[in-house]
Order: sequence, then C-alpha cells, then structure tokens
Amino acid sequence: MAEKKKMSVAEILAAARAADGKGAAANPAAPEPVAEEPAAAGAPAEQPAAKPKPAAAGAGGRPSVADILAMARAKKESGESAAATPAAPKPPAKPAAKAAAAKPAAPKDGPKTGVQRDTASILAAARAGAKPGPVSKAEAPARPAPRPKPPVAGEKPVAVVPPRPAKPEPQAKKGGDEEDRRGFLQIALGTAMATGFTALSVTGGLFTLGLARFLFPNVLAEPPSKFKVGFKDAFPAGKVETKYVPQYGVWVVNGDFNGLQQIYALKTVCTHLGCTPSWLEAEQKFKCPCHGSGFYKDGINFEGPAPRPLERYAIRIADDGQLEIDKSRAFQEELGQWADPDSFVTV
Amino acid sequence: MHNPFFLKDVAGFLGGYYTFLAIMNAVAALLLWRKKGQTGWSLVWTVFAGAMMILASMALSGAESLVPALPEAARSFVNRLSGPVAYTVGTTALFVILFVFRKFFVQPMVAWSVLNIALLLMGLAMANEDFAAIVMKPDNVPIVGLVFLLAFFTWVATKQAVVNDERIAQGLPPMEKLDDEKVLVWPDLVYTELICMVAVSAFLLVWAIFLPAPLEEPASSVKTPNPSKAPWYFLGLQEMLVYFDPWYAGVVLPSLVVFGLMAMPYLDFNKKGNGYYSIEERKFSYLVYQFGFFELWITLIILGTFLRGPNWNFFGPFEHWTPYKVEVLNNVDLNQMFWVNLLDRPLPRAPQGAGTLAQIGYILLREAPGLIALGVYLVVLPPLLAVTVFRGFFAKMGFIRYMIMANLMLLMLSLPIKMILRWTFNLKYILSIPEFSLNF
Repeated sequence: MAEKKKMSVAEILAAARAADGKGAAANPAAPEPVAEEPAAAGAPAEQPAAKPKPAAAGAGGRPSVADILAMARAKKESGESAAATPAAPKPPAKPAAKAAAAKPAAPKDGPKTGVQRDTASILAAARAGAKPGPVSKAEAPARPAPRPKPPVAGEKPVAVVPPRPAKPEPQAKKGGDEEDRRGFLQIALGTAMATGFTALSVTGGLFTLGLARFLFPNVLAEPPSKFKVGFKDAFPAGKVETKYVPQYGVWVVNGDFNGLQQIYALKTVCTHLGCTPSWLEAEQKFKCPCHGSGFYKDGINFEGPAPRPLERYAIRIADDGQLEIDKSRAFQEELGQWADPDSFVTV
Repeated sequence: MHNPFFLKDVAGFLGGYYTFLAIMNAVAALLLWRKKGQTGWSLVWTVFAGAMMILASMALSGAESLVPALPEAARSFVNRLSGPVAYTVGTTALFVILFVFRKFFVQPMVAWSVLNIALLLMGLAMANEDFAAIVMKPDNVPIVGLVFLLAFFTWVATKQAVVNDERIAQGLPPMEKLDDEKVLVWPDLVYTELICMVAVSAFLLVWAIFLPAPLEEPASSVKTPNPSKAPWYFLGLQEMLVYFDPWYAGVVLPSLVVFGLMAMPYLDFNKKGNGYYSIEERKFSYLVYQFGFFELWITLIILGTFLRGPNWNFFGPFEHWTPYKVEVLNNVDLNQMFWVNLLDRPLPRAPQGAGTLAQIGYILLREAPGLIALGVYLVVLPPLLAVTVFRGFFAKMGFIRYMIMANLMLLMLSLPIKMILRWTFNLKYILSIPEFSLNF
C-alpha cells in the first residue's frame, strides 16, 4: 500500500538531502552497516536493483538521482521510525541512536556539507521514471512491479511494524507553580470566551431588533396611496392619461369595457414579469418592452406571454367631486373583481 | 434617424478592420508557404490579403461611393428573410449541416475560408448604420466575440473528435492516449493560471478604457427602458420568457437545466469517450448536449442581443430599431381554441357565488384539453418511448434513470415545441389558470 502512494515533493527533497548529508558526512566516520542497515532491514522486500544502490551511495561520493529516488522509496517503506526497529543485529543502543541522530540531523547538514541539489533536477528525475508524470489509480497496477520478491524462498519477509516512539511526558507536571498559572489562564480564557460570546449574542440580538425596527420607518417618502387626479371631464372618452405614470404608476383611462363606458385606473405593471409597458397611442395598446406582451386599452391581454389582464386600482368620486385613486386596493379581472363598483367610475 | 456623418465616423474603424484582415491572411500565407505542399493555398490567401488592403484603402476614404458595403438588394433580402421562425429554422439547419458534414468543415483551410468570409461579410455589413449601431454597441461587443470564440472552440473540439473517430475506426487508440503525460498542478498549472490571470486583467483594463460601459439614467420602478434587455448571459432566458409563464421559464426551466447538467454523469451509461474527444462513440449524448447548448442557449442569446429591438419585436439585422414597428402577435390560449373556436361554446365558468370546490371543478373542466395534452406528453410518452425508440436505453438504464432522462429531455423539448406552436397556431398557453398563476 505504502509504496503505491506517491511521494510528495517534500519527501523526495528530504530524502535527497539526507542522502547528500550521509554521503558526505556520515560516510567516513560511521561504519557502513550502521548507516544503512536499519533502512534495509525495514524493507526486506526492497527490489534487488534498488538495494545495492543506496549502499553504493552511502559508500561513495554523491548519490545519483536514481539512488536518491530509490532511497526515498526505501525510507518511505521502512517508515520514519526505522531507527527504532529492534531487528537490527547491532550493538543494542548504538545503531538506533546513531540512525536516529543521523536522520533528523541530515537535512540540516545536507545543505552545508553535501553538494546542493536543486529542486528542479530532483523533480525532473522524479518525473523521468518508467512513465512520466504521476501515476493515476488505473495505471498503477499496470506499472512494472517495482519490488520483485527476493529470490531467497526460505524466509517469508515479515512485515515489521515499528513500535511507536514513546511520547515525551509533558513537562508541565513537574512544577506546581506552572500548573496553577495554567489553570488560572484557562479560567481567564474561558471566562473571556464566555464573555465574548455573551456580548456577541447580545449584540446580535440588538442588531436584529434594530433591523426589524428599520422595516417600519417613521416617515415614508413615497407618495400617499390615495391621491386625486382631477374631475371627470378631464378624461374625455377614449383617452389614456399617462401623466400620472412617473409619480404614481397608474394610467387613468376613460374606456369601454364590456360595452360600458367607464373611467378606471390601470396599474402600470405587466402581469408577465413586472416591467412597465408603454402606451402606444398610434396602435391603441399597451406594449411591454421586456417580452412583448400587449394589452388593449381596457387592460385585457391579447399578445405576447402575459397570462392575465392588467390590474385595476380602486377609484371613486371623492366628496369634492374629484376622482380619487386608492393604490392600496387592486382588482383582478380573472378573479371577476372588475365587476366590483369600486374598480371603476361610470361616466 | 440617419446620421450624415456615419460613414466618416466608421471609416477609420473599417480601414483598421480590413487592414487587420489583410495582415491576418498575409501571416497565414507566409506560414503556409513555409510548409510543403500548401503553395496553392498560400497564393490564395496572399491574393485575399491584397484584396483586403484595397478594401481598407477604400474604406479609409469615407466616401459613400467608395466604402465597401453590401448592396441594398442584399440587405433588404436579408431583412425580409429574417424573423423568429426563419432564424430558428435556419440555425437548426446550420447545426444539422455542420454536424453531418463535420469531416469537411474540420479541415483547416475550409475553416479558415469560413472565418474569412464571415469576417468579410461582417465588415461589409458594418458600413450600414443600423447594423453597426447594434454590433458596435459596447455591451454587444462581447457577444460578437462570443460568436467567434465559440465557433473556434467548437471547431477545435470537433476536429479532435473527427481525428479520433477515424483512428478508432482503424483500431488505433485516440490521440489523447498517445501523449498521456500528466503535469503537476504546482507549478505547471498554477503558473499558467497566474499568467492567464495577469494577461486577462490587462486585457479587461484596456477594454474597459476604450469601450466604456454604457451607463443609463437612474433606475425607476415606473420606467422601463425600451427595449429592456437582461444581461447577455440571460438573454436566452429572456427569449424563453416570451413563450412561457415566468414561473416556468424563469424558475423551473433554469433549475431543470442546472439539475439536468448535474444528473448527466449519473444518467450516462456509455463508458466510451472517457478522456478523449469522440462523436461517433457518443452520438446521442453529443447531439442532445449540443442541441441544448447551441440551439436553446447560444442562438437564443444571439437572437436576444442582435435581433430583438424595442417592444421585444423582431428586427432584421439591417432594420432600424423603431419603437413604432407593428407586429401582429395575437395569441390565444388552448382552452379558448378548444371551447370557443372548436366547439363553439363559451368557456366553462363557475356561476356567481359558487364554492371553492365548484370553482376548481370548473377550472379543471375548462383546462381539460390542456391537462390531457400535458398528461399525454409527460406521463404517457416516456413509457411509449421506452418500448419504441429508446428500447435499448431503457434496458441499459433501468426504470428510474430512464424516467429521469426521458422527462428531462421532454421538458427541454417543451421549449422548441412551444415556440413552434406559437408560430403556427398563435398558441399562448396550453394550460392557462391565471386564478392560481399557473400557466404552461
């Protein structure tokens, strides 16, 4: 499983640096097996081709790119805790300690002692494998099996699971003072959090209340819903008065509906999608610029997609004899509301 | 209406435009000259580039007799031909021709010729004031770009698909499997994206400076500009709204588009064509998708942008956009057609003071023809198709997947069907229940 996994760039780099460091620094001093054995032991199933190479790299000068890759793979195999492998037949403490020391130290030493390897060449080498580029899931099995079983048929390679390194004891337990301080901190922090959240919820609640209040302003800057448009004789038969559109959004029409001459107020909202149609005097129709709906003078839809007639506002003759339109009430033809005497004024 | 200085204004642009065409073709000719065996084409494009240079100098004169333009007869012919019906039928025919003869059109020289002819015709048409007013309007320029970009990318994909289809027919792996190298996201992809981001930002900056966005007067709820157009990417939706009720064309159909696109991978049972372009191996998917994309989205955007004028009337490309154009668009609901026109009876209407249930009953009776038609379309048709046309599909997909596929397809086709019904029978709504704002 682990070998199928792709190596990250960071792993490749770490391996390369480790190899450099080892090749340059660790080699003359340390006896060979010490440096190499843990890695090899951890991966007994390592391919034979790859195995000698790390050894050579360890022994000789700079490892080749292929060696670095092989080593990186081997490292990955044996796990980062290869140092702790108990299987090493070496003087008990030494190799483990040495390897452990070498490993973390190597990346630091690498850049100083070893020959610097740049990222590009390592990445290029990583790509120039058997098949260029990362391997997709589907291709992975088709790849030449990189690790043939060792010819030694006698022993089955045992998968060695290195034990976890013991967690270092938290040092805080040592002194009583520190414990107290931390406890104090915790309480302080907890209290701060509690305070913070309380403040937050209170603020949020107040904000919501303020927002709700905002919906009911003290002053409405819009025109009143009831307004007067003048006397009846200002609207001769057949006239569509458009001068109230900009301010009130209403056409006052003296027209004929079902054979009755009426004055009615049509709402200037298209019943299709709410655009404002325009009155075309020459064609005697309301025409919507958005989707081409057309309405007769009485508001009945006849062309385009509008599904129902324009709506009427309430209209009446006020006490002073003027026509008064009430925009707070609308009448829909399809619901039979145009028969309502509030929806028109008989001429 | 008519700007006497129009030709002088547009002369500089047209001169540059034809010069650009000339340079483009000269470069193409040079590249072809260096290739072996393309000398003939190289000469053709050299001559064409020379002709473009002549046109450029004529255009730069700015004189009415010299600026190259389409003849009046051609313009009025195009105007007379164009209409929603001709447009939709024409684009469908174009779609079919391009698909059937794709092996011909993917040849580079054929495509180059088509591109040159299109650009030349556009240049000639732009000497017309009405055409130029629409095409060179700053918010329409991107749509012109879209037309050419879309044609280019479709051409590239189709070319690869055609090559792959030929290879597959010969038993070879598709081109994409030959050079199968994959690259790393970082740095290869991210660097490319970064460079693209910088380049596109610079391009947009220059564009914004030279073609300022048209700002209009402050919005008002009682004043709608005429024509009132949605943002360009919604013009397809706006065109759909001409044929449908807002809840269907504005809510249901767009959601269905999104859900349908999401459902596609789950409905698809064809394992072929994965990771490479191919048309032969996925003909059904290809045709359905391209029909939905080109016919029902892109061509409608183009229609909405260039051909819909004031009052959402249809205008030919060389027609002046006057708000006084009269078009007879009287539409009738299906209930009206059935009860009044066919049976010669008044619409069933609940008597005054009837209860809610009785009213609903009368509504259902009134809408019976529409309900039956819709029921047949959406309930009876899918099983019928399953045992006839889509027998193989049904066997491979299973009941649920097949039903989803069939219903999505039928709902998609409801748009062209409704358009045709509107044009032929002036049908407004099949189902018309304004009492509950339910229309279809």
